[in-house]
Amino acid sequence: MAGTRLFLVSGKGGTGKSAVSAALALRAQRQGDRVLAMEIGEEGSLASHFATTPLAFEPREVRPGLHAMKVSRPDALLEYLSLQLRLPGVGRFGGRIARAFDALATAAPAVREIITIGKVYWEVRSGRWDTVVVDAPPTGQIGSYLRAPQSIKELVPTGRIRGQAESMAGTLSDPEITRLVLVTVPEEVPTAETEETLAWLDREKVVPPPRVVVNRVLPVLEVATRPTGVAGEMVDLHQSLVAEQQIWLDRLPGDVQLPYLFGVYTPAEVAANLSDGMEAVL
Amino acid sequence: MTRTLLVTGGGGVGKTTVAAALGVTAAKAGMRTLVVTVDPAQRLATALGLAGLGHEPEPHADLENLWVAMLDSGASWRAVAERHAAPDVAERLARNEFFLAAAEHFPASQAYAAADQAATYAQAKAWDLVVVDTPPSGGGIDFFTAPAQMADLVGGRLLRWITGGPLPGRRFFYERAARPILRIADTVLGSDLLERVTEFLLDLRTTYDGVAQRGREIERVLKDASILVVTTTNPAPLHEAIRFYRTLPDLASTPKAVVFNRSLPDSWADPPKRLRADVREIVDRWSAETVRQRDFRDEFSARYGATVVSIPLTPRPPTDLEGLAELAVSASGMPWADLGIGFSQ
Repeated sequence: MAGTRLFLVSGKGGTGKSAVSAALALRAQRQGDRVLAMEIGEEGSLASHFATTPLAFEPREVRPGLHAMKVSRPDALLEYLSLQLRLPGVGRFGGRIARAFDALATAAPAVREIITIGKVYWEVRSGRWDTVVVDAPPTGQIGSYLRAPQSIKELVPTGRIRGQAESMAGTLSDPEITRLVLVTVPEEVPTAETEETLAWLDREKVVPPPRVVVNRVLPVLEVATRPTGVAGEMVDLHQSLVAEQQIWLDRLPGDVQLPYLFGVYTPAEVAANLSDGMEAVL
Repeated sequence: MTRTLLVTGGGGVGKTTVAAALGVTAAKAGMRTLVVTVDPAQRLATALGLAGLGHEPEPHADLENLWVAMLDSGASWRAVAERHAAPDVAERLARNEFFLAAAEHFPASQAYAAADQAATYAQAKAWDLVVVDTPPSGGGIDFFTAPAQMADLVGGRLLRWITGGPLPGRRFFYERAARPILRIADTVLGSDLLERVTEFLLDLRTTYDGVAQRGREIERVLKDASILVVTTTNPAPLHEAIRFYRTLPDLASTPKAVVFNRSLPDSWADPPKRLRADVREIVDRWSAETVRQRDFRDEFSARYGATVVSIPLTPRPPTDLEGLAELAVSASGMPWADLGIGFSQ
């Protein structure tokens, strides 16, 4: 039996990162995995993709075998201090300590990120899950999260956190465990941002080479003769959009493509629809 | 008097393009207009004549009355140090690794820079209209809360938490062992890190009066500004737009309108029934999408009483001044008079 696999899903805001995370978790659940879906950050929409109430720090079963949770930094920190470091006094001073560290995290680089990525690391190491899927911060911030263990090693000459940073860096860069998924759409700005992220990852080598998922790809549909009226307008727009998207598809690595979903109303329907295309990512 | 127009919304909705289109329209109507953008796409940057320009407002080469400036997100932190700290402290801050990291990583950094620059240009009285494309951090709300967040950070909230008391002197380092929080921080992070962070915060604290006063000036400009919310009918940006309608009235003013970018024409909701199979493949998809868009738009307008503007979906975003002007013309329902822009269709 292989060990736990970790999928970190990032992408430019608005490309469908949370939908792809949920779809990936649903696909893994369907093949019988014990799955944990984790949301990082305040603005996540993972819960809506499972059609469930807002997520909490405590994992909650949202489908049989599929748990979902939200990593909030104060909770992650308290757990870290009491369970991982077994520090005395955490119970008594817990709230104050969490707030102090949270404030510290605004000023000290990598502290905020190491606490969050640390929670992911502990869940991967816990042995409770076959698959951990993380709805990670967008590409603009993902670098500082992935690089956090390195940054801590450079910044913190002593302290217990430094030793653990080494182990975290090892897990993140292990191709048997970690896979980064970059979600994008075939448009100019997301394509440029994906290229920048790929170049950065190639330089820093903090995770194995990522898998690029191109979301909202329009189908190529041929029409024998152009109809008149409203139908003709739709055919014209469709064909022009397909031609435009091809420019960006040609520039993007074509690892996995997901279809544009027409007339789909709810986030839960979006995730369910996309989960069929997730085989190639798993 | 300078009017300020803030164009807000989530990422990837075409906010920068809409801001540019409004600016071009105002300039063509004879208003001296400045467009402030954040990180525009390559093709749009070219259309705005931004390629190779610095961060200062520059007149556009091909359109009279139009000025363009690009946001410099590192600038505000440097300005905070230069404007509000003593010269030796400013110099020490500029070299401090935590100061540099905070400038880059403080979530509201880019938002603060944008708000600060927007206020600076509004106060300069050099333009009739300043159009600001706001940064997307914090779902766009950071732009409005950044002045207070900055004052809070500089004002020593963090220092108070670390030291567990009122403003400390430097001797606090020697008493550190007495405080449980600091003992824990020592064990986890190592004492050296904490010492360096605290030194940085003590330096930053000296800028508090200046930063707090500047924050109040910025907030006054933002409160007087007109606001447009740009979105699409995709769930994530729509969710952000809803947040604006709920939150903004407390922070600034109620948005003048919500702009649904990339809209499909309502006439597509009800296409002809008898069609060839190959055509039907395309028509069924787009009419289903049109119906969904219309439902989302109607619900938003009913629930928030918002003025709804629709900008049609085009195969590619505008890449030149003509294209930007046409995009503005194609917007249906834009409250031009309410925005103070002279425009006749």
